[in-house]
Amino acid sequence: MLSYFIRSVAFRHLRYSVGQSLLTIGVVGISVLLIIYLRTIIGGTQNRITQNTTGAIPHITVEPPERTPVGAWQLTNLGIDPDTLYVGEVVNLPKAREVIEDWRLWLPSLDAVDPGVATVSPVVTGQAFMNRGSRRQSVRVTGVLPERHNGIVEIEKNLDAGRFIGMVSGDVVLGQKLARDFGLKLRDKVRLVGPEGLTLNFSVAGIYTTGFGQVDDGQVFVTLRDGQSLLELGGSISSFGLKLTDLYDAENVARRMAPSLPFKVQSWVVQNPNLFRTLDAQGQTRDLILIMTTIASGFGIGSILVMVVTSKYREIGILKAMGATPGEIQSIFVLEGLLLAFVGCLVGVPLGVLLLKGLAAIRSVGPDGRVDAPFLIEIDPMLLLGASLVAMATGVVASYFPARRAGKVDPMQVIRGS
Amino acid sequence: MAHPVVELDRVGKIYYNGDVETPVLFDISFAIVPGEFVAIVGGSGSGKTTLLNLMGLLDRPTAGVIRVENQEVSQLDELKRARARRDRLGFIFQFHYLLPEFTVLENALMPCRMRGREFEKSQEPRMRELLKAVGLEDKLKVRPPQLSGGQQQRVAVVRSLANEPAVVFADEPTGNLDSKSGRLVFDLMKRLSRESGTAFVMVTHDDNFALEADRVIRIRDGRLVGAPVGAPEERL
Repeated sequence: MLSYFIRSVAFRHLRYSVGQSLLTIGVVGISVLLIIYLRTIIGGTQNRITQNTTGAIPHITVEPPERTPVGAWQLTNLGIDPDTLYVGEVVNLPKAREVIEDWRLWLPSLDAVDPGVATVSPVVTGQAFMNRGSRRQSVRVTGVLPERHNGIVEIEKNLDAGRFIGMVSGDVVLGQKLARDFGLKLRDKVRLVGPEGLTLNFSVAGIYTTGFGQVDDGQVFVTLRDGQSLLELGGSISSFGLKLTDLYDAENVARRMAPSLPFKVQSWVVQNPNLFRTLDAQGQTRDLILIMTTIASGFGIGSILVMVVTSKYREIGILKAMGATPGEIQSIFVLEGLLLAFVGCLVGVPLGVLLLKGLAAIRSVGPDGRVDAPFLIEIDPMLLLGASLVAMATGVVASYFPARRAGKVDPMQVIRGS
Repeated sequence: MAHPVVELDRVGKIYYNGDVETPVLFDISFAIVPGEFVAIVGGSGSGKTTLLNLMGLLDRPTAGVIRVENQEVSQLDELKRARARRDRLGFIFQFHYLLPEFTVLENALMPCRMRGREFEKSQEPRMRELLKAVGLEDKLKVRPPQLSGGQQQRVAVVRSLANEPAVVFADEPTGNLDSKSGRLVFDLMKRLSRESGTAFVMVTHDDNFALEADRVIRIRDGRLVGAPVGAPEERL
C-alpha cells in the first residue's frame, strides 16, 4: 500500500501541473480510444468477411481420401530389392466418385469426436439440371438431413416462405433468386435431372434468402435420401460437414481429429488460404498500429514525467535530505504515471464506446438493395478492460525510468547547488 | 553534563574520483549537547558543508565514528540513514526549497507527512503555533511562491522542527537573504533552539552570527583550529 506521503505528493504534482497532466491524459485517452476503435472496427470487418465466407460452408469437411497414383518403385513396404530396375510411368487415375459408405457408423463417433464440434451433417452433393417448362439450369444439389444441416447453414431462420426442417421426400428448398428466375412459389412442381440422367419430380417446400450468394443462387436442398437417389449414390454420402463452436479453432480441431479417422479432414482455413492470409495480414497491420499507438502513449507519459523530474530536481533532493527513501521518491513518479494512464482510460474508454455506438447506428443501402449497417460492431467489455490495462501498464513502464532517475537524485548535489 | 546529541570521534573524509584521492576532513572530534547553538565557520573549501553532511547523515565518513543520540550511525545503509534523518534530524538550506504545490502549513508539516497521516495530524497544532510565532499565521493556506524570501526561509526553519528533531543542521540559512531578513531568520533559529531545547548546528560565513552562537567550531583545510572545542563548555 502506498503511503499517505507518496499519494499526496503524486496527486499534488499532477494537480499543480494541470496543463501537462491534461496533455498526457489526452495522449493516453486517444491511445485507448484508438485501441478500442481499431480492434472493434477491424475485428468486426474480419468477422464479417469470415462469416460471409464460412457462413454457408462447414468449418471442417470430412471426405473420403483422394486416390493418388504411386509408382511401384516408390513403395518401401513391399520388400523389393532397392536395386530392382523398373520401367514405367505414373498415370493419372480416372477420377472415381469417392463416397463414404458406412456413414451411419461414423456419425456417432464424429458427434463426439471433439468438444469443439457443434454439429455434424452428412451430405451428398452433385450437379443436376433443374427443369421447369422450357427453362433449364444447372444447379448444385445438396441432399441433407435438414435438422442437422440447419446447424451448418441457417436455412430455417432465413426462410421467406415454407419450411426447411421437416422437409420430406419429394420436397425441394431453394433460394429466392433461383425461385424468381424460375417463377417458382411454394408447392410448385420442378424436375431435377441427375448426372446419370435419372429424373425426379420435386415440390417447392421452402424459399429462403441467406445473403450468401453461393447458397441463394444455383443451389437446391433435398432430403438426404432423395439426394442419394438422384445422384445414384445408393446408401453412401459424399462428405460430413462439421460446424464448430469456435470457427477460428477449426485448424486445431481438424489436426486433432485427423489421426483417428480414415478420411481427409480439412478446415475452412486450408480451403481458403488466401482469405486466411489476408485476414492474418490485416490482423498484423492492426496489431502493429496498436503497438505503435501504445508506444507513442508511453513516450507521452515518459516525456512528461522526465520533464517533471527535471523541474522538480531540487524538491526531490530536499525531500530525500529530509528522509524520503529512494523507493518512496520512485513510487511517487510511478504512481503519477499510473494515475495519468488511469484518468486517460476514464476519458478514452467512454469516448471509444460513444464513437463505436455512433458508427453502429449508421445504416446504408448495400449493392443488393438491402439496408444494412456498414460497420459490424460488437463492443466487447473484455476489450475495454484490456485496452485500459494495456494503457495503465504502459503508464507504469513509461514512468519507471524517470522515476528511477528521481530516486537516484543525490541530496548533497542539490544542497551544493550543482 | 547531558548526553551529546551528536558526537564525532576522529572523523575523516576522503573523496575518491577514480585513482584520485581528495582528502577533505581530518581527525575531527567534538560533541554537541541538546539545546546548544553551534556555528561552524571557515573559508570556502575548508570542509564545513562536508562536515555538516556527515553529521546530517547525508554522507558517510571514510574514517572515525559518528554517533547520534548515542547510536553509531557512521556506516548505516542508505535506507537506515534516510529513516534516521526523517525521525531525528532537521535541515535548513541556503535556499528554502519549499514545494510549490503545497501550502505553507503543508510544507511545514512535510517531514511529519513522511511519517504518516496520524503523526502529521498530531503535529499540526504545534506547527500552527510555530508558524504563528514566526509571524506567518495569516499565510498558512498560501503557497510558497506568494511569499517573500525571508518569509519562505522562516517556513523552512519551522519545517526543520516539524519532526521534533534532536538536532537541526542549517547550511548557510541566511546566505540568500538580505541583512534584515537574515537577522530575522537567525534570531528565529536561536529563539526556537532555546524554546524547544533543540540543538542547532549552523554553517555560516557571517562572523556576526557566529559570535552570537553558544559555541563556534572553526575549520581550516579540513582540520579543527583554535581553542579546544571538544567540550561544550569551551567558548570561543
